[in-house]
Amino acid sequence: MKTDAQRLAAEMAAICLIAAVIGVAWNHRLLLDVFQGRGVQTQKTPVSPAAGTTPAASPTAIPMPLGLMQVKELFDSQEAVIIDARDRETFRKGHIKGAIPFPVGDADGLIPSFSAKTPKEKLIVVYCGGFDCHDSRLLGEQLISANFNQVFVFEGGYPEWQDAGYPIARGEN
Amino acid sequence: MDPLKKHLTALLRVGLGAVFLYAGILKIANPAAFAGNVANYQVLSYAGSYLVAAILPWIELICGALLVTGLRTRSAAALVAIMNAFFIVLLFSTVARGLDIDCGCFKQGGEKTTAWTAIFRDTMLLVAAVFIYRKAPK
Repeated sequence: MKTDAQRLAAEMAAICLIAAVIGVAWNHRLLLDVFQGRGVQTQKTPVSPAAGTTPAASPTAIPMPLGLMQVKELFDSQEAVIIDARDRETFRKGHIKGAIPFPVGDADGLIPSFSAKTPKEKLIVVYCGGFDCHDSRLLGEQLISANFNQVFVFEGGYPEWQDAGYPIARGEN
Repeated sequence: MDPLKKHLTALLRVGLGAVFLYAGILKIANPAAFAGNVANYQVLSYAGSYLVAAILPWIELICGALLVTGLRTRSAAALVAIMNAFFIVLLFSTVARGLDIDCGCFKQGGEKTTAWTAIFRDTMLLVAAVFIYRKAPK
């Protein structure tokens, strides 16, 4: 026969188990994206096809999302310019190695000089603080407006990159 | 228990349940933002933050619903008390580590709630949960 404490523990465990089952089922797509390193899809735009190859050009004015693996491949091949949309202080604390500091708040001032030295067809990957951070998408849209035609957003951002153990740097670039 | 105490206990139980229902619903509505708030505590990994953000709000929601309806009151109150005790310890750790973050307790991405405010609020909720646990029939 169960004691009162055992019954209480069993009921609490049952509540946690039911919550876990519902929570995982409810968020299964989000969790799959996170655990498979595909980044979090915060908007309904298709992920560019053929992971492991150069992504296709964005056909719309919305920057396309890229997953962790694709960004890592572009990082290794040095095919893309990686841009950090967070503020400079956050950038100094840690950023993807080789990324360019490009705070979204300073974008209007930075885009002209960036445009002058970067070909319009260059692959550009923008990231920010991951999770529900929208700065990368906002900056991506501004870059597309400035006629860059291959702009992508790494939605997992710096937290996902750092967590994967990929190269980071601190201080100024 | 005299009728007045009985009604006050019931009122407290429904109130506490409503708070947790509300907290759970707000987090369920925006799991990515809540994951960001969990990550700000710098305790879990990137994926771990998402896993907690997926499950914890549902524990809050279920406990809230059980408290409001009066079903399995002792178990729900005990779980709420354990969660609040854990939150308080976690909030104290942010103070100790000098982290100036939003507690992420209710509305995600809203006005920032400081650690001390959250500790005070969670202590009140902990006291209420323990009281309900002790008064609930076995």
